[in-house]
Amino acid sequence: MSRFFLKEQKKIFGETWVYLAHASEIAEPNSFVARKMGLRSVIVTRDKESKVHVLLNRCTHRGATVCREKKGADTPFFTCPYHGWTFKNTGQCAAVPHADAYGEDFDKSHFDLKKVPYVSEYRGFIFATLNVEKGKKGINEHLKSSANRIDEWIEHNGGNHKAIRISGVQQFTVHANWKCLYDNAGDGYHPEFSHQSLLQMTQQRYGAGMDLDYFSGGIDSTPMYSQNLGNGHTFLDQRPCMYEASAFDRQRPQPGRESLVEQLTAEVGEQKAREYFEMSTGAGMNLNIFPNLLFIGNQLQVITPLSVGLSDMSWYSTVIDNVPAAVNTLRLRTQEDFTAFGEPDDTASFEACFKGMQEREIDWIDMSRHLHTNVDKTDENGVLTSLISSDIHMRSYFAEWKKLMQSNDESSLG
Amino acid sequence: MNNKSSAQDSYYVNDALYDRLMILHEQWQLDGPVHSTALVNMADRQACESLIFAEARLADDLRLEEWLDCYSDECIYWIPSSYPASDPREEITLEFHDRRRLEDRVARIRTGVAYSMVPAIRTRHVLGNVEYWQGEDDEVCARASFIIDALFDGKHRILSGWVGYSLVKKADVWKVAVKQINLIDADCLQENNTFFL
Ligand code: FES
Ligand SMILES: [Fe+2]
Repeated sequence: MSRFFLKEQKKIFGETWVYLAHASEIAEPNSFVARKMGLRSVIVTRDKESKVHVLLNRCTHRGATVCREKKGADTPFFTCPYHGWTFKNTGQCAAVPHADAYGEDFDKSHFDLKKVPYVSEYRGFIFATLNVEKGKKGINEHLKSSANRIDEWIEHNGGNHKAIRISGVQQFTVHANWKCLYDNAGDGYHPEFSHQSLLQMTQQRYGAGMDLDYFSGGIDSTPMYSQNLGNGHTFLDQRPCMYEASAFDRQRPQPGRESLVEQLTAEVGEQKAREYFEMSTGAGMNLNIFPNLLFIGNQLQVITPLSVGLSDMSWYSTVIDNVPAAVNTLRLRTQEDFTAFGEPDDTASFEACFKGMQEREIDWIDMSRHLHTNVDKTDENGVLTSLISSDIHMRSYFAEWKKLMQSNDESSLG
Repeated sequence: MNNKSSAQDSYYVNDALYDRLMILHEQWQLDGPVHSTALVNMADRQACESLIFAEARLADDLRLEEWLDCYSDECIYWIPSSYPASDPREEITLEFHDRRRLEDRVARIRTGVAYSMVPAIRTRHVLGNVEYWQGEDDEVCARASFIIDALFDGKHRILSGWVGYSLVKKADVWKVAVKQINLIDADCLQENNTFFL
């Protein structure tokens, strides 16, 4: 495996805060989900006191995968199928069958599951890191200004982060390096071209003024913008165009749209229904928390490297508790739109980029849009704002990537 | 495709329809009794078989307008993201299309700039173990196992699972009212499936 790729596993997917799960996925004590922290298989558990742990899913006996399910409830213990070693959901080794054969001095506490020591949650988003310094400082310090943007995303989704719940996932393989996907996350330059199929189809069938059509033409004279939020996090804001009037009216019609509109309006009145419609439409915020959590519309896209040229791109959908059921049906039918009409065309290009980058004779790609045009402005918090088509996203996250790759920080797993 | 004639609103996708879909999903999974007590007459059975075979072949041949014609005006094309499927009001699906969105899907491919399908992914559906039984009113239900070989960039890929159909007779012609495609790897990583399954 490529030396760089292995180093990324340590320096990027180990030594910075990596997103692992949403609190709603392990809402109950003694529930868990199996996840990847880069290449590491981990179990994200909630113990009986509701504390969250991230355990390496590798038996300390012979290395077998301890937990072989993707998720579960009522699981205070994990028993390894091979020789029956049993671990608490805190990682503690609870039982070793026939332990007398290991001699009198055997101390099973030396065989606890290895833990990712620093686990931190920001308003429902669970992150973990192996990095001692970053771990001690906590997630808020790491998120910096992007925390405010997460707050805005939560606000769009009703304002109560405890009511936001993951409602399934669409998982896709992408035959490209994980960074080819990440490059796209803040690319305001591509929609007019890459999303031609969506734009033309929508224009033909539903006329002008619909979804994403504000990306056609002179996008840099629109009020949309992109930002470097620090620590590799970036933001591309479509709201000034998308929410200039009703974003729901721009949305390509979802299955059942008319019946849901009618039902909700009857149920809660026109004004409240209108609020629900907008909340069911994507947030218009492309918020990218380096290295693996992307807010796209009302979904969370999580990127996981599988090998140098293979990545897992998973779209977690969200619903809201305590709203009429029709709101969530509308949200789900809306969240199925872009993964069918937009993302596949981009994915084809991520894969094409990865192919191209393997041409030995050419080393470089370009990411210099608005590098030399003096359009960037920096505010008092150090947030750098550029025009929507700027490559500020790539430049910002690659600067962080380089910094992490060159760091000699102390890792708790060595 | 750009006439807005068929089903340009979507009142029919309502709670009653979702409830019905969940019942169908259950029935498609039942053993013998469901259909052994309600056999389909030979003529209808043959018509239904021709329909589901044509539907698969037209998708393979990218004769997408004719493929759409296999579906009723108030149809559902549904690929769950879990196995077994869950209620689409509660969990995201891989695809859940009414007539209108199904037409959107075809129109997208027809723009010629749907880069996920340039060059087109070639597919061949094989349907097997097809069973039919009489459903509600004049509806015929069917289920089958499927294998799809998909060729892209010179590489073969196999998709498989089972499919459930609700078939209805409209103006003397049988149409697909519901097609539910249950991939055995619905809850695993998917590749580029922007053709029709
Ligand atoms: S490998 Fe887990 S108990 Fe032996
Ligand atoms: Fe895109």
